[in-house]
Amino acid sequence: MPALASLGERVRRVPLVLFVLLYTVVTGGPLLWVATMSLRTTAEIFKDPYGLPSPAHWEKFADAWFKSNYHTYFWNSAIVVVCAVALVTVIGAMAAHCLARYGFRGSRLVRFLILSGLILPPQLLILALFQILLDIDLYNTLTGLVIVYVATHIAVTVYILEGFFAQIPQDLFDAARMDGYSDFEIFWRVTVPIGAPALFTAVTLNFIVMWNEFLFAVVLLTDDDKRTLPLGIMHFTGSHQLDVGMAATGLMIAIVPIIVLYAFFSETMIKGMTAGAVR
Amino acid sequence: MSLGDRLAGFAARAAAPPAIDARRATLGVVVAFLAPALLVYAGFTVYPVLRTFYNAFHTIKPHNVVEFAGLGNFTTLLFADPVFWKAVSNTALFTVVATIVDVAGGLLLALCLFVRAPLAPVLRVVWFTPVLMSYVVVGILWVWIFDYDWGLANATLRWLGLGAYEQSWLGQPSTALWSVLVAHEWKWLGFNMIVFLAALHALPSEVLGAAELDNCGWLAKLVHIIAPMLRPTIVNLLVLSFVGKMMVFDLIWVMTGGGPLWSTETVSTYVYKRAFEWNTFDLGYPSAIAVLWFVIILAFVMLMTRLLRQRDKLEF
Repeated sequence: MPALASLGERVRRVPLVLFVLLYTVVTGGPLLWVATMSLRTTAEIFKDPYGLPSPAHWEKFADAWFKSNYHTYFWNSAIVVVCAVALVTVIGAMAAHCLARYGFRGSRLVRFLILSGLILPPQLLILALFQILLDIDLYNTLTGLVIVYVATHIAVTVYILEGFFAQIPQDLFDAARMDGYSDFEIFWRVTVPIGAPALFTAVTLNFIVMWNEFLFAVVLLTDDDKRTLPLGIMHFTGSHQLDVGMAATGLMIAIVPIIVLYAFFSETMIKGMTAGAVR
Repeated sequence: MSLGDRLAGFAARAAAPPAIDARRATLGVVVAFLAPALLVYAGFTVYPVLRTFYNAFHTIKPHNVVEFAGLGNFTTLLFADPVFWKAVSNTALFTVVATIVDVAGGLLLALCLFVRAPLAPVLRVVWFTPVLMSYVVVGILWVWIFDYDWGLANATLRWLGLGAYEQSWLGQPSTALWSVLVAHEWKWLGFNMIVFLAALHALPSEVLGAAELDNCGWLAKLVHIIAPMLRPTIVNLLVLSFVGKMMVFDLIWVMTGGGPLWSTETVSTYVYKRAFEWNTFDLGYPSAIAVLWFVIILAFVMLMTRLLRQRDKLEF
């Protein structure tokens, strides 16, 4: 009796559905809560912390953006991350291409050296980087932070790219060589176009990780005008301790761009973030 | 380099005359491709690591005053620093619990979606959202959730009629570390779920089908069939999670700053405090902590991979 079987099946699935529903509320609930708070004044929030935003105070977003330094934080983050991601992708791709394509003396040593960067804790670098940037006058500069981000993300970039580049059939390279391509043309016109999916994955991963990075930024930057977004949010919340409504608006400015990107590129972002863990 | 690549390389070398062997390159070409990455890496990763090791055996005062300290930093650390040991025990507890929750919870969530819960493709995307948030956002959000007066945690308890269990979650030593752990898992469970789900979908469906025919219960199926086949993924995530938790900094820093009463102090937050907040003005001592901790992490990772991978060999 199929009808009965499917009824039994359905009853057995009730705990599963309840659990799935509960976890979804746990994941999404806090984010929705911040969203409602970001549109309400602190007085409204303290009267009823879980009320709906009516009327919605959209002007709070303009206040947070213009009256505090939020726009500065946002552009600082944008400049640092775009520069660092561009640089690390280019030099990482060159190195990965070289390691994947050419057999040369010392290639194993170079690969080992670069990939050992995958397991270095930031704490092992940060104090010495602080000294080094002071020595070369790049402490408390965005340039210094860009260089540090590039250096600390070379390992993961090469790791992702080399694995993919090594799978490109050798025949393509032999053919390109016979057609008279130079070494650089082979890289630019064979490896880069064919390796585009891996490049995209590496860019996504590095972008998200750097956009959220906190430790290097907090040690290497001090001026308010130099702060990146995570430092800015921390500062903004700190200076609006009692004004929870405004702090929530500040938090939402950080959340919204990521949610919007995620809505359009969810699969790419999932693939990027898990690139190091999924085989 | 995989065996396949090597064979392809040999084949290319055998088939083509040397002049057009695409695997060969002059030293100049190799240097040109590697130099940018290696220079930046050497200057801002290799050199800082070496300098940290050097610092660990010295006292580094401001204005480049350097005094040789021998093993002094390490003996102080090991035998005369109760805060360090408090930080070690907090970090160890956090690491063990969070690693287990990461792997077990991630697997549980992945299985829920794998057995075709309703809306599974949508939930997979929704559950992953916190992974993309910065620790600063997650930390501030959870500080509010744990707020005594109007936070979600106490409000939920009151709503369930469990108002007697209200806590000042982050304000008292007995619950602070556990509260940070909850926030940490909220951020990371989705990551482990995605990795497990990918591994589950890569399992050969015939094996699962055969277990179905044998009328194997789902728990037996999980323990005897799915878990062993997921072993490489489990080992991978255990190591990844372990390393991440041993270095936990951001979330602690945002939520509690190590307090109250050292109850959430971790090795990483202690390194930061000793370097930049205490009036000791010495970068040598915190460097010694970082070096010692790195050696311990490395030893555990090697131990874990060896132990867990060896059993692989015995089984297959």
